[in-house]
Amino acid sequence: MSHLHIPDGVLPGWLVMSGWLLTALILAFSIYRTRSTELKRKIPLIGIISALMIVCMTIPIAPIAYHINLSVIAGIILGPALAFISIFIVDLIIAMFGHGGITVVGLNTVVVGAEAFIGFYLFQLFMAIIGRDSIMWSSGLAAVISLILSTSILIGIVYSSQINPELVIGIEGNDPTEQVKNEEIPQELINGVNIKSFAKTILILLGIGWLLEGIITAFVIKYVSRVRPDLILPQRA
Amino acid sequence: MDVAIIDYYANHGESFLHKAKALWKMVFTALVIASIILTNEFYILLGIYIILVTIAVWTRLPVSKIITIATYPAIFALIFAFVIWNGSWLRAGVILLKALAAALTMVLLIVTTPYPDVFNTLRPFLPRIIAEGLFVTYRSVFILLELTDELIKGLKVRGGITRRKYLRNIRNFSSGIGLLLVKGFDYSEKFYGMMNVRGYGGRIAVQDKNMHMNRYDFLAITIGLLIFAITISTVIEKSFLEFGVYILVCSAVALVISSLYTQFVN
Repeated sequence: MSHLHIPDGVLPGWLVMSGWLLTALILAFSIYRTRSTELKRKIPLIGIISALMIVCMTIPIAPIAYHINLSVIAGIILGPALAFISIFIVDLIIAMFGHGGITVVGLNTVVVGAEAFIGFYLFQLFMAIIGRDSIMWSSGLAAVISLILSTSILIGIVYSSQINPELVIGIEGNDPTEQVKNEEIPQELINGVNIKSFAKTILILLGIGWLLEGIITAFVIKYVSRVRPDLILPQRA
Repeated sequence: MDVAIIDYYANHGESFLHKAKALWKMVFTALVIASIILTNEFYILLGIYIILVTIAVWTRLPVSKIITIATYPAIFALIFAFVIWNGSWLRAGVILLKALAAALTMVLLIVTTPYPDVFNTLRPFLPRIIAEGLFVTYRSVFILLELTDELIKGLKVRGGITRRKYLRNIRNFSSGIGLLLVKGFDYSEKFYGMMNVRGYGGRIAVQDKNMHMNRYDFLAITIGLLIFAITISTVIEKSFLEFGVYILVCSAVALVISSLYTQFVN
């Protein structure tokens, strides 16, 4: 669960717009990538996977309203391109229910989409290394590692929210009128969010969640591979 | 996040907000969200929140239920407020109010607008696959919710979920999700067949409504513009913040009067 639950109006505008721009670019690429597949057949499947993700988000597992994402499972079943589209749909719908800010849907899609993307490729890698017989371990490990990496992206986003882009450009640019001195950078950059405190809180809260989602992903993929092995995509970039 | 209840409220209300068109309600939502983003003043945000609660009272829907649905983001806002704590309660309050007010704005939209209307309004701005995906996803959510309900009952009745057997519970719960996934995939194939039989040509048809503004649309837009105008004026001209307390008091009075009116007048 590395879904960004930061409310509207907290992150700076440039960061929010960057999230939307990046999401738009990746969506355009994903739609282009999947243009050769029969899209009318895929829409019901995207709908079902998105609906399953939404339903699982309504089932709190722990008292702090922890919920599972199923983003790695979406990546494994749909592939990274369709999974990204599915995740965007999910984030848009749950933002309408007040679950995360509507303006941070772009950033949310990037973070959760990264989970699906990383999870898919790690799953393929582990299957190749460990072997097809250990599909459970491959999917579980892929889920845990992708969640750790996506949480790191989340922390990075919050950290970069404190950076004034004009300041960064001033540091790297050669404008002689720039008044920022190098020794002032650390104070300017760490003003605002105590990133160490934020990272510690997030890592403690989500650490158990990574393990839980990893175990659930492993059992789900194991079940699906026994009942409908054709749903687990063959090796495909 | 009770999807079924939200959908029921959206389709069975008679308030001015239910009668306003989706497009103008979304403009209202955008104006209020913009106001919430632009201001960092505690009293202004509290005033906006109270106005939104007043509007929730006007919808004549269960206000406590609506506020509860919109309170979910408060948990995470509190965590975020904690990590940026600098000794100022006002700052923490601002973060909390931004989360609550933004969530309540979105929830007001979704409890007064049926989902086909919302998605149909967004359709011109989204790629076809996403626009169609929204409709199919929302429809599939209700089907999966029913399957999930039966699944959880079945698991409990057959001893699949028992106390203190955590690993076994996780394994059975996960297998249940796997079953939902498999059933859902079978459903998606049948759904594609049904859509083809019914003449699906790549676009789900939604009844187009008359887009002319009526008095309910006008009222929604007026309230949104009023909130935005007051907020932007306090952002541009800081001296207007002196009136922040008066705005708060007026909002509170409006809330009390609205509550009494809806309580005693049908």
